[in-house]
Amino acid sequence: MIRQGFILCLTLLPFISLFFIAPSMGIENNEAIVHTVGLTIILSGINVWLATTFAWWLLWTESRWKHVLEWLVFLPLFIPMLATLFGLYLILAEVGLIGTYVGVMLALLVVTIPYSIRLAYNGMAVIGRPLLEQARLLPMSRRVVYVLYPLFSRTMRTIALFSTVILLSQFALIQLIGAGLIPTVTTELYQSYAGNNRSLALSNTWMLILFPVVIYFLLSGWNRWMVRMLKGRLQ
Amino acid sequence: MSLNVVDLRKQFGSRQILDDVDFEVALHDIHAIVGVSGSGKSTILRIIAGLETADGGDVRWNHRSLNKIPAHKRRVTMLSQTALLFPHLTVGENVTLATRKRSRKQAEHWLQVVRLGDRYDAEIHELSGGEQQRVSLARALAAEPELLLLDEPFTNLDPKLKLDLQRFIRDLVKELNLTAVLVTHDREEAMLMADRVTLLEAGKVTRTGTVEELYDSEPGFGDFVMIDGELRPLSEVEISETIGEPVQLMKKIYRFGQCFGEYHFEDGRSIMLPTHEWFQIGMMYRMKRKEEYHA
Amino acid sequence: MLRSSVALTILVSLFPLTALLFLGIEATGTDWGALLTDETWRDSFVTTLYVVSVSTMLSLVFGTWLARTVVKQRWRFTSTILKIPMFVPHIAAAYLFWLLFSGANGFGGIEANERDYVTVILTYIWKEIPFVFLMMLGTYEQLNRGYVETAKTLQLSPYAQFKHAEFPFLIKPLLDSTWILVAFISFAYEVPALLGVTYPKLLGVLAYERLSTGLYLEATAPYAVALIWTCLVGFGVFVSYLMTASLRRRIERGVRR
Repeated sequence: MIRQGFILCLTLLPFISLFFIAPSMGIENNEAIVHTVGLTIILSGINVWLATTFAWWLLWTESRWKHVLEWLVFLPLFIPMLATLFGLYLILAEVGLIGTYVGVMLALLVVTIPYSIRLAYNGMAVIGRPLLEQARLLPMSRRVVYVLYPLFSRTMRTIALFSTVILLSQFALIQLIGAGLIPTVTTELYQSYAGNNRSLALSNTWMLILFPVVIYFLLSGWNRWMVRMLKGRLQ
Repeated sequence: MSLNVVDLRKQFGSRQILDDVDFEVALHDIHAIVGVSGSGKSTILRIIAGLETADGGDVRWNHRSLNKIPAHKRRVTMLSQTALLFPHLTVGENVTLATRKRSRKQAEHWLQVVRLGDRYDAEIHELSGGEQQRVSLARALAAEPELLLLDEPFTNLDPKLKLDLQRFIRDLVKELNLTAVLVTHDREEAMLMADRVTLLEAGKVTRTGTVEELYDSEPGFGDFVMIDGELRPLSEVEISETIGEPVQLMKKIYRFGQCFGEYHFEDGRSIMLPTHEWFQIGMMYRMKRKEEYHA
Repeated sequence: MLRSSVALTILVSLFPLTALLFLGIEATGTDWGALLTDETWRDSFVTTLYVVSVSTMLSLVFGTWLARTVVKQRWRFTSTILKIPMFVPHIAAAYLFWLLFSGANGFGGIEANERDYVTVILTYIWKEIPFVFLMMLGTYEQLNRGYVETAKTLQLSPYAQFKHAEFPFLIKPLLDSTWILVAFISFAYEVPALLGVTYPKLLGVLAYERLSTGLYLEATAPYAVALIWTCLVGFGVFVSYLMTASLRRRIERGVRR
């Protein structure tokens, strides 16, 4: 009991910083919030889609390229983030995507997708091949709606959440690829910190922490509602 | 020296798994605990091994309580359903690890005892299920236990292999003067291997006795016949026209597309066995061991 | 539809490798000799090694220990709480730690920005322990307890029990976690930029600043450093996976779940 309490305290301790000073209540930059929300939704959506389909393919494929492709998609996890970023900067500069929304989006996708595929693959491994094999016997639309979606909904929520957290952690990426033209809550935090505006930095920190929380609850609610509705249709 | 299990109690949640379980295992005996799955028999074994703690009661070895002694200091080894050989080690290394002095020589000796003397350097996945179980036995013996626990170690083996290994382990335990507790749901297995049997039902001991006592009085233990002065399960027995013990065919019935006959012994006992269709009711036949079981 | 999205994923996954190719091309003009003798880079390299090894080591040890304990003791609530820091963005975590150790509010003893990078290490540990915890949690939950029990009944010491009945099954996830953490921590900007000091900077910070500050716009050194560091990590990955390949295959084939 004492050990547990100690571990919990250490885990939660850094959060007390949130209450040291009052965050500034006025929202300074609406554009940053809009950008952050937009990027989050698009990035999470694409990640969930690409990662689940790829993991599904990987689970069943008999292609002799399976192992090569498995390595290819997981390899970026072992490449230092900034190295990928520097290279991406060079590629995107070549095609004129620096300073654009698309360029930022693409760079974010590149750094998030390996994690998402890994999560999706692990999620499917936990459910297990035998059960998923049963699902494969159903026609496509029913399989996806009634079996795969309810089974994967938690994994999909985790993927969306992870993509969001990685996105919110990126200052260098968004600053470099976005050429400073695409402000997000993260770049705002960094600038308010550098400008020594503590209460503004704190309000941005609050936002960065609350963002994933809100997404978590929204997605949980949505998943619960969807599963209940699907169950209702089967009765 | 003996093993005493005294008033053992165990509860999982609201379910009473063991309810005042009492029995004694004599030195050098093989003692079987027989019960259906969920009767709590494996829990008894786990408590004896120290892998589980009892809510009440005591386990005594040589009149000394084992309750406070951790599993790895009890000198009790266990053979379970799966061989559970450490996959990062070779066959021989698995056995060497268990020897007291990490001695390769001793490990080789134990592998020879289980007739796998030439497989020291083999990898685990190269062995068949039966061979893996034999390595597991060698490993358990290499730890020089005072008490050997057998937790349904034959469940995953095919019938022929199962019978071989049952005999082999029984002979080995006797030869090495070990004491063993066998847990099984299979009465046939208990009859074949054990000296004494404890019957367990829903966590309670319903009876303890020698194999002979149970054979005479317990239903389900009667499916054995005496051939060549030894008890044999019915699955090992067939009816012939020429050699074996005399029996009389009383009745023929057809089940699942097969013909069965009811035979009476001279002392009035009867058994059911697969039968040739041309055998005639009222005639005398002979009962013998099946060829495939003659070792 | 499945095929086209698989193709798209492969295409996206090819980007990092292409990125390395571009890095290589861009770095060709670098004066490698000067780079290796440049004291700023060298100090930065040493400091980075120190921060990475300490943070990774501690995260691995604590994360694994926590996963083991949580599964063994069935601490459901603690398990949930332990995952929380993972969902705090790195930069937010860094700011929380900055506030925790800076100025009037801070705890005594450690400054928010100091040369030993203690706050950077603490931030990384706080963020990465949950990651390792999660990776190992799955492993421990799927681990066949029979192996440990067998080890116990074979009268192996607690250390030998861990060595033979647990550790072999941890090799793969530990290896994965180690290199993911090294790649992640070693060459990043956000956390050390917020909590670091002006000298010596961590490699990621130094490279990013050299790249994005007007003063060094023409320099190829940051690209060269990024490439060297990636090669070093890549070499580590390659060697460690190669060295454990036969052992991992043997375990995979022989394990009973």
